[in-house]
Parts: sequence; structure tokens; C-alpha cells
Amino acid sequence: MKRLYISPPVAALILAIILFLLSGFLPNGFGNDINIAIAQATNILRLSVFLGVIAAGQTLVILSGYEGIDLSAGSVVTLTAILTYVLVNGRDEKVFYAFLIALLAGALVGLINGLGITFLKISPFVMTLSMSGVVTGLIIIINHGNVSGKVAPIMTRLIARPLSPNIPIPNAIIIWVIFGILMWLLLERTTFGKHVFAIGVNRVTSRLSGINVNATNLAVYSLAGALAGFGGFLVVGNTGVVFIALGQPFLFPSIAAVAVGGTLLSGGKGSYWGTMAGAIVLTLITSLLTTMQMPESIRRVVLGATLLVMISIYGRQRGFRQ
Amino acid sequence: MSRSLSAQHIVKHYGGVVALSDGNLNIQSGEILALIGANGSGKSTMSKVINGVVDFDGGQLLLDDKPVQIPSPQAAKNLGIATVFQELSLVPQMTIADNIWLTREPLKSTKAINRKLINQRTEELLALFEGTLRTKIHPELPVSTLPPDEKQIIEILKAISLNPWLIILDEATASLDSRQVDRLFELIRRWKAEDKAIIFISHRMEEIFRIADRFSVLRNGKTVGDGNMKDITDKQLVQLMIERENVYEFTKASTAAEKTTSTNPVYLEVEDLETDTIRGISFKVKEGELVGIGGLRGQGQRDLLLAIFGDIPYSGKIKIKDQAVHFKNPRTAIKHSIALVPGERAREGLLYIRSILENLHLPNWDKYGFPLKIRKAQEDARKIGLRLNLVMASLMEPVSSLSGGNAQKVVIGKWLLRDPQCYLLDDPTKGVDVNTKSEFYSLLTGLCKDGKTILFYSSDDDELIGLCDRVLVLHDGVIRAELTGETLTKENLVAASLGVTNGGAA
Repeated sequence: MKRLYISPPVAALILAIILFLLSGFLPNGFGNDINIAIAQATNILRLSVFLGVIAAGQTLVILSGYEGIDLSAGSVVTLTAILTYVLVNGRDEKVFYAFLIALLAGALVGLINGLGITFLKISPFVMTLSMSGVVTGLIIIINHGNVSGKVAPIMTRLIARPLSPNIPIPNAIIIWVIFGILMWLLLERTTFGKHVFAIGVNRVTSRLSGINVNATNLAVYSLAGALAGFGGFLVVGNTGVVFIALGQPFLFPSIAAVAVGGTLLSGGKGSYWGTMAGAIVLTLITSLLTTMQMPESIRRVVLGATLLVMISIYGRQRGFRQ
Repeated sequence: MSRSLSAQHIVKHYGGVVALSDGNLNIQSGEILALIGANGSGKSTMSKVINGVVDFDGGQLLLDDKPVQIPSPQAAKNLGIATVFQELSLVPQMTIADNIWLTREPLKSTKAINRKLINQRTEELLALFEGTLRTKIHPELPVSTLPPDEKQIIEILKAISLNPWLIILDEATASLDSRQVDRLFELIRRWKAEDKAIIFISHRMEEIFRIADRFSVLRNGKTVGDGNMKDITDKQLVQLMIERENVYEFTKASTAAEKTTSTNPVYLEVEDLETDTIRGISFKVKEGELVGIGGLRGQGQRDLLLAIFGDIPYSGKIKIKDQAVHFKNPRTAIKHSIALVPGERAREGLLYIRSILENLHLPNWDKYGFPLKIRKAQEDARKIGLRLNLVMASLMEPVSSLSGGNAQKVVIGKWLLRDPQCYLLDDPTKGVDVNTKSEFYSLLTGLCKDGKTILFYSSDDDELIGLCDRVLVLHDGVIRAELTGETLTKENLVAASLGVTNGGAA
């Protein structure tokens, strides 16, 4: 009998839709009011953007294989959020400058990760975990725990508000869609993207086929850092405040989003579409549980369990035993 | 006690693919049965049915004439059936002794592993192959430090340590050199005398005729013939396997290619090349020449190719078209129009879970601009597929869906698009079926005709003699003999491989 095959991104998206529809039946759900339903869906999507962008870098490092992971993503988000906050300090004209600095700072942390992993042969887990500590520590040393700054009005307008009053789609979602297309182009339509998959599957084969494995790996970690930096920029534009624990709550979900999206945690196979769907699923579950006034502890249990269920479903689909 | 095993009308599907449609096999103790068939004919599936690795969909197994279930490899072991796997089943980080006795470690009264006993028993097993092992081998060496042939021998010893009555050798000789094969055959004859039964699976016809008493031929999942070896010729066997005429002449047929390379300019020149395993090698190869590298396994052939390709450090001089080069990595070698087909295709040549398309284009993506012109890439890949007669469902299927021979075509195919001037081939026909082999031979002779230079290591002596203009025989890291024309005979090749210097060869 032929087993019905659903690709992971689609599976995650279907799960998100089912969960969303079910949420309508909750006591304070949207019931049968279509307008409220659309508003709620839009809001969930808007909230997914931040996790989605941060998880983009995570997707890259996980795809690059050989236990690739970026545990410094959370602290990079905090770092670049604070940098943006301080550098912009309420001035619209400084936004672009701050944006570049955020990307560069993220890329620098990523580059150091990449150097340690590629040339010192430190395992990605240990390297990025250590860098996470280093970055968080540096933030505290430099700021002494208090920062003064302010986001610029233009950031709020670009990130949190809709494009125009007539089109009630927040800009963040539009940015995300464009970002998604760019990520797809990067992974599927550039030599670099093909090389990322290749080194994720087999680095000996890659090397013997003429791929510069070290350079590719270095680029992957640097880019992942830059993307986390971009995430930090977006997050602060949305929240308008910064604090030292701002980024850390994104770390576990960023890995979970990649996994729920069907990317092999061992590397070499997956997509950013999947990660986007994964980010939506995780954000949806979190906000549902929040609406249901579940405590943080229950939320963690449910998020963890979702991850396990999705991964085990994908595992079964690959035909574990003939 | 005489024992027997019989598989009757075995059917096995993998999804929609029929691996076995009517597999039959009978074997009794004291008998050596050759299980023969082209790649993908169901030999490996048949052996996996018998040793409990796969569950079959129809038919039955009889042990000593009684129906029997073999639901797991462990059950097979308990019934006295041991298998030497084609894909190695050793734990690389563990020692030789620990691998052999895994799950069956001899214990002391305190339940701790009896190291002394385990090492002593391992020494006894290693002694079976004494004199054919290159390194000073010791029970406590980690398996990862061993070359492929010695890993294969450990695999054989592991099976033997079970003291089985039935031993399945699935391509166990594929990575062994001739001395090791000779020893294995001595052992097989000894086991036969001890009333054990052996199922022998091999692509090497000559080995089958040397060792087997009976044969059973599979074609497309069906047993199409069995009988005594002495009643059949190699030609007849090949006919049974492939339903096509005159294929056994494959090697000789391709030697008809013109050999007018003597006036061509030299393409590759190697002088005093030294690596960890090579101790000073010099030779020249002309454009359009197909030069073979022979010798026992692990005599430096692999290192020679990898050094030229820039993958391992070396000292000495390498010149390409009279220009001194020293490649620091394969990337630069590829830019200088050199291609390598590595020896272990799964580990070194392919991205197993990625598509055939991506595997074919692995070194070529830079040719397709930004954004990558996927349609053009697909078109080019399809052309390569046609040129190589690649049997596949679609370009988007993973390489893991291909049979061994077709997967190997992908490894070669990825270079064809770049049209390199020089090919370095590391035993490209290992574990490949007869059909694919003959396709390779015509591909290689075709490339030479186009003026490409080919350096071709093969563990198959007949192949070297049939295909090459000239064969360099490596022994212990040096060129022991250079055979060409009249001197290129099997006797000389074998003699030089064994390090015997006989007057006429050099």
C-alpha cells in the first residue's frame, strides 16, 4: 500500500491551521466572527516574524550539518537589539546605520563561531554555547546593566504597523515574505546554497568535488550571526524596550521551528519554508496557551511535546524500517 | 550431522520495487554454493532473507526440511547462520577484539570482561590470516585505523567466531587483494571439510569457478538456473545472468580501440612522488593514454591518485603539460582540468540523501550563474544521464534510490560536464555489475579517443590487461613493474603484485 506522503512544511502548516481553527472554540476565541478570526490570524503571523527571522540563521547552521547548531542566537538578538536601541536613540536618520551595525555585530559573532568550529575543530554546540556566554557577559560589562536609548518612530512604523490603512497587513509580515523568498533564492538558486546542503550531507564528497568546505562553513556561521542580528533589530523595533533576557527566550523555539519545519537535525536536508511554518506553529501554540492562561511551565511542556511529536512523524515518513 | 537450508519461492517488495519475485536456493552442509547475478538481481536481498535482516512477503524457508522463521539477525545467529556483510558492520571506534566479540564477550566470574581471554581468542582468529595482513595487527587496535581490506577480514573473523554451520559471504572478496583471497579460499575449503556450508556471493567469475561446487543464478529477482559448477562454462553463466549475447568479451572487445598514442605529447609527469605510503614514484602519461595501476590493495595506489588530485600532502614533482604544479587541494586540481573518481563511492563520491541532479552538478554549479539556471542544469543532467545510460525514475529522486552500478555512473557523470583533460579513477568498477562494467569500458576508451588522459587503478587484473595500454604495478609504495604490450600478461601482473621480480616483467 502506498503511504500518503506530506512534505514537512505542508504538514506543519496544516497543523497550524487546524490549531488555529480549534482555537476559535475556546471561551474567548473568535467564535463565528470572521473579522476577529482574520485579525487574530494576522496577529499570530506578525508575532511569528521575529522567531521566523531568528530561526533563518538556525536553519542555515543546522543544514550545514556535522552537529551544526547556533546556541549564541539568543544572546546575539539581545546584543543587536541593545545596539540598535542605543545607536538609534529615537532618531529616524540613524536607523539604517544601526541596522548595518546590527548585521555586522551579528556577523562578527558568527564569524568567531565559524573560526572556532572550522579551524580549532571545536564542536558547534560547545563553541556557540561559549560564545553565548561571552556575548551576554560583554553586554553586561559594557552597559553595567542599564541602557539608555529609544527606538525611532520610523522603526515602529516599518515593523509593527500595516502598509496602509486600507491593507491591514502589518509590514513585518511583508518583510517576512520577501525575506522568505530571498532565503529560498539563497538556498535553492545559488551555488552557495547548493554547497551548504552538500557540506551538510558529506564533507569528504564535497571536498573531493571541489567545494571549499571551510569557506562555506565559515560563511554559514557568519551569515547565521548576521541573521540573528537582523532578528534583534526587528525585535526591538516591535517591543520598543530592551533588557538583558530579551533574546534568550527565542533560542529554544528557533531550533524547534527548524525541526518542526522538517529540516533534518543531522543536516543536509530541509528548507526555509519549513522553518517559517514551524515558527508559525510554535508562535500559535504559545499564544494559545497564553490566551488559555496556562502557566509558563505548561507552555514549555506543550512546546517540547509538539517538537517530539512532529519529529517522530517525520521519522516515520522516511520509512525507518522496510 | 548433515544440515540443510532451503528457500522456496521467496517474494520481497520494497515499496513498489520487486527485489525478489521467485527466489530459490538449496544448500547442504559440506557444500559451497555460489549465488550469482548482476547488480540489482536480488542477491543481497536473498542473503538478507536468510540471515533475518529483512522480512519477506511470500514463500518459505526450510531448515533441515522443516519450516522455520528467521525474524531477526539474532535469530539467524542462534540457528547457526552467520553473515559477512558487504557493507561493513563494524563499530569504528571499538577495538578489533571488542568488535569481534560484541555482545558475546567472555566474562570473568565477577561479570567483568575477561580481557586476557578475549585478546587470546582474537589472536587465534587473526592467525587464520597471518601473513596476508599488512600492518602489525593487534587485538587492541581500533578498527578505524585499519585499511578497508583488513576491516573486511575482521568482518569475516567476526562471523567465524560464532562457529556457524552456514556462512554467507556477501561480496566479501571485493576489497581483498589476491593473497588474502587465496587465504580465504583455503579457509573456506577447510570449513567445507568441517561440514560447514558456505554461500558465496561475488562479481568475480574467476573466484566463483575456483571455489564453488554449485551455483544458483538470480536474474531480476528470479532464480533462473542452478546446478553443478563443473557442468557449466563461464560464458554460459554470464548468458544466464544477463540475457544478452557476447557480453563476456567485454574487456577484450574494447581493446580494439586504436592505440596510436605513441606520438602524443606527455600530459602528466610525476617525479619522485612521496607520501606516507608512497616511496618515490616516477612516470609519464601521454595524452589519450589509458594507463592502469595494478598491484595488491593498499600498496599506495589510492595515495598516488589522491596526491595528484591535491587531497593529501606529498613531496616530489608533478608536471602537467610541462608545467610544474603542486595542488594544495582538490579545488585547484579541478580548475586544472583534473577529475577524481574516488574508491568508496558512498563515503567519498556521493551525497546519498540528495537528488541525482544535485549529485551530478556538485562540482558544476558555478557554471549556472545567479540565480541558478535550474532548467538548463536539468537539461544538461538529463543529457549526461542518457550518455551514461543511467537508469533512474527521475532526476529529483535521491541517489540512494539507485543501484550500485547506476550510483557509480553518477560519480563519473558529475565530471563529464566539466570535460576534464585528465581522469584519475580509483577502482571504479568495484561491486558493479557486468553490464555497467562494459558500459564503463566503452566510456573510458571513448574518452581516450577524444584525447583525454586516464590513470586507472583497478583491483581486477583482467580489467587492467584487457583495457589498458600500459600497467604500472605498485608494490609497497614503489612501481615494481611497468607492463606493456607483450609483457602485459596475467602471470607478470600477479608476479609483480606479489613483489616477485621476474626477468621479463621490468
